[in-house]
Amino acid sequence: MNSFIILIGLYAVLGTGIAIYARGARSQEEYFVGGRNISGIVSALTYASTTYSAFMMVGLVGLSYASGVGSAGFELMYLVGTLFLLSYYAPKVWELGKERGFVSPAELIGSRYGSITAKLSAIIALIALIPYTSIQLIGVALILEKNASLSFSMGILVVALLIALWAFIGGLRGVAWTDAIQGSLMLLAAILAVVWVSFKVDFLSISKLDGLLYVPNKIWTPKLFAALTVPWFFFALTNPQVFQRLFIPKDKAALRKMIVYFGLFGLIYTVLVTFLGLELKLMTLNGDFPSVSYRDDVTPTLLTIMPSWLSLLVALSILAAAITTANSIILTLSSMISRDVVKERGIIVGKLAVIVLTVVVALFALQKVSYIVELAVLSSTILLCFLPLILGVFHFDKGGKITGVSTLLIGFVTAVTLSYFKLSPLGIPASIVTFTLVFATFFVFSLIEGKGSAKTI
Amino acid sequence: MRWIEGLIAVLLMLVPFFAFKSENLTTYIYWIVITAAFLVYTSLDAKRWVYE
Repeated sequence: MNSFIILIGLYAVLGTGIAIYARGARSQEEYFVGGRNISGIVSALTYASTTYSAFMMVGLVGLSYASGVGSAGFELMYLVGTLFLLSYYAPKVWELGKERGFVSPAELIGSRYGSITAKLSAIIALIALIPYTSIQLIGVALILEKNASLSFSMGILVVALLIALWAFIGGLRGVAWTDAIQGSLMLLAAILAVVWVSFKVDFLSISKLDGLLYVPNKIWTPKLFAALTVPWFFFALTNPQVFQRLFIPKDKAALRKMIVYFGLFGLIYTVLVTFLGLELKLMTLNGDFPSVSYRDDVTPTLLTIMPSWLSLLVALSILAAAITTANSIILTLSSMISRDVVKERGIIVGKLAVIVLTVVVALFALQKVSYIVELAVLSSTILLCFLPLILGVFHFDKGGKITGVSTLLIGFVTAVTLSYFKLSPLGIPASIVTFTLVFATFFVFSLIEGKGSAKTI
Repeated sequence: MRWIEGLIAVLLMLVPFFAFKSENLTTYIYWIVITAAFLVYTSLDAKRWVYE
């Protein structure tokens, strides 16, 4: 039998065993946020695994190979932004979550801008994140197709089953524990890949990389850098699957540990994958690695020249990265359906939503629609519409329901329209136009609506 | 005044766009050092972890 299939079998058994061990959640708080009792280390690893998807080992290696050190600058800028936002807002969000019993990430917005705004947030998050989650399944199915000789549709089925099963049985606790193990695997595989490649690189010829060693260059213009970093800089506040993780640490010490260790993980992982891309480019220039024109093919090409044990490990780490991101998103979206849309008291609808959402994501992935990458990229811009509302909760004592709904609707419509018609007014990237417009909408409607009963927290 | 810290960090991250043009790993290492320094700073600054 194909050794990758055996490895995936073992991986599936281990993950399912952990999920079964973690089962038993009866309340929403237990099922969706692990009873707010997760240790700092596990919180850090689940935060990192949720954040860092298959994009890192496939997309970022390829981006670094094709565009040089600018890709590291972009990803590290995201990390600096996340550390800044988390170290400032996370203690407040954690305390409020505990005090007011927030479970869904939209409940913080809802507490200030009304339940209709929370409900709309849930719907927008669903629309934005389903294509993004489908991309994860597609990436893994392509790896399984290449390495395990499974058909594309069978690959989607296998991954969807693992995502739904682990989230359904174990809830957040199961997802967090499996994330912790998979996060460690992602880091280990990246370290081994860099060490193995480093023995084959002639570092004395580094200057051959030429324009790839500085910014701006032909690819990393200030405009591209700004277009990509603006939505990613605020990822920690705008993306519900990571925002919800601010509710899970057992105490403030665990919260602090979560953020610091996540930062350390992010720094090491980013350096490893971007360095790998630069090394491979240098090998290409020295004639030691094939020239790859389509950047997402860089890592798959690397897998074909590695020893089989390492190739299997790296492929498994990519699969793990995709699954950890996908099942965390599915569980978070399920909590939003359960708490903000249906408003159930138990977890039946939430658990059902895990199954239904996984099926929807799998069906979407099976369609292999040509514009799915554009949709996935669009998700980070759409989610920017949450930003003024979250910041408003803490810093601005005006605005209510009308402000909340208007900000979300105008932000969503702007992001989708600019992306659909591929518009960049006055040459300004869509993400920056959306960013500016959501804040303008927020302030205008807040001032019109006035203070009412609103107050900063 | 925490936002000033964020602004300084962002400005420091943008320095390579204006200052470096060397064909070695200076830009890359610079970004790593700034990120690492910010991580150390945020982890050691005890005040920021208190909900005021």
